[in-house]
Amino acid sequence: MITPLALVGYAALVGTVAPLLLARARWSHRAPGLAVLAWQGLMVTFVVATALAIYHLVLTEQHVHDGLVGFLSACGLSGDAPPGGPTPTVMDGLLLAAPAAILLLPIGWFVRCVWQARRARQRHLDVLALVGEPAPEYDATILDHADPAIYCLPGRCRRVVVTRGALDVLSEEQLRAVLEHERAHIEGRHHLLHALTDAFSRAFPGLPLARHAKEQTGLLTEMIADDRALRYHSRDVLATAMCEVASGRAPQAAFGAGGAGALLRLRRILAPQPRPHRVTWLGLAAATVAAPLLPLLVACGP
Amino acid sequence: MRQLGELEAEIMYRLWAWGRPATARDVLTDINKGRPLAYSTVKTVADILHGKGMLKRHKEGRAWVYTPTCTRQQYTASLMQDALGNNPDPAGTLVSFLEQLTPEEEGALRSALRAAKRRSEA
Repeated sequence: MITPLALVGYAALVGTVAPLLLARARWSHRAPGLAVLAWQGLMVTFVVATALAIYHLVLTEQHVHDGLVGFLSACGLSGDAPPGGPTPTVMDGLLLAAPAAILLLPIGWFVRCVWQARRARQRHLDVLALVGEPAPEYDATILDHADPAIYCLPGRCRRVVVTRGALDVLSEEQLRAVLEHERAHIEGRHHLLHALTDAFSRAFPGLPLARHAKEQTGLLTEMIADDRALRYHSRDVLATAMCEVASGRAPQAAFGAGGAGALLRLRRILAPQPRPHRVTWLGLAAATVAAPLLPLLVACGP
Repeated sequence: MRQLGELEAEIMYRLWAWGRPATARDVLTDINKGRPLAYSTVKTVADILHGKGMLKRHKEGRAWVYTPTCTRQQYTASLMQDALGNNPDPAGTLVSFLEQLTPEEEGALRSALRAAKRRSEA
């Protein structure tokens, strides 16, 4: 009975306390790529630990290792089932349904999110084809609107869109820096990371990990894209571009989704901070990989 | 496929510019001033636009008459709503450089930039 309790405790820790710590961790903004990986690791860990905990609870008398091996051998995937071990029955299959549902729930939502986003992008592209003007010199599409905005449509029909207002307020170099930022999103396939956290938060609504992972991944991918733009353009250029885009817009008093993140990004662009030490970096990466494996060891250990 | 999109744009541009309902024949006559194109092509693309909900149509005599459902500005505004995050689209649809900010937040950005410039000059 200790194993399922340990697994439940681990899942609860990963689902509630770990996200609070990671959201406050100072290193995350200095190594945003690693931090994104850490959030993904926490989500995988939560799913694995929860699925194993449920499996253990419904199958307390039978050791999980036997059950898993029995299941695999029933599917013809594993030939080394212990001789004389339990023969899988229909009942075993039913018992596996509950933990399998925990695994399939976020996967199903992910497929749905990706599909919905693709359809929404296609609608957007259809309209864009009618009202946008191609600007081959920037490898972008220009939209005739007074508010400055720059965004990208990722995926197969990738495209960067710039409004007329943005062209008016940004200098040539500022515009190039922002375009570089958007291309980083496209090439890094950040939309898939957004879809993953979105799927996770729909599969486990109300879970602190889900809320934090979604918020933080959104902010961290922006920081990754900022860093990429800073490789080719100066800090001053990118920071000024942010302010010009923000202040050129029609004021919207009752809106506040990106404000806190925008300020964090700006401060980070202006005041560079060193990346974490190589040893710290390796340690964090190792912890990210080890976290989802730990429940498997606990469940299959002696 | 790309050419089909361009022809859709050509048809919409004309209908928006004329500001009155028109038949596929009207559009064809105007396009034919510049280059030859078959009537059936224009008619097909107009029907596709109708299918997408971008044109509405009614019958006058024996011909269908087409009108844009929205103005060009309305379409542009709807794209901007997507881009600035005012629409509850699924995550991953598009990624914006900067979300919509309140005037206070925008002021905070400005003062952070000013402070950094003063520091670098000092």
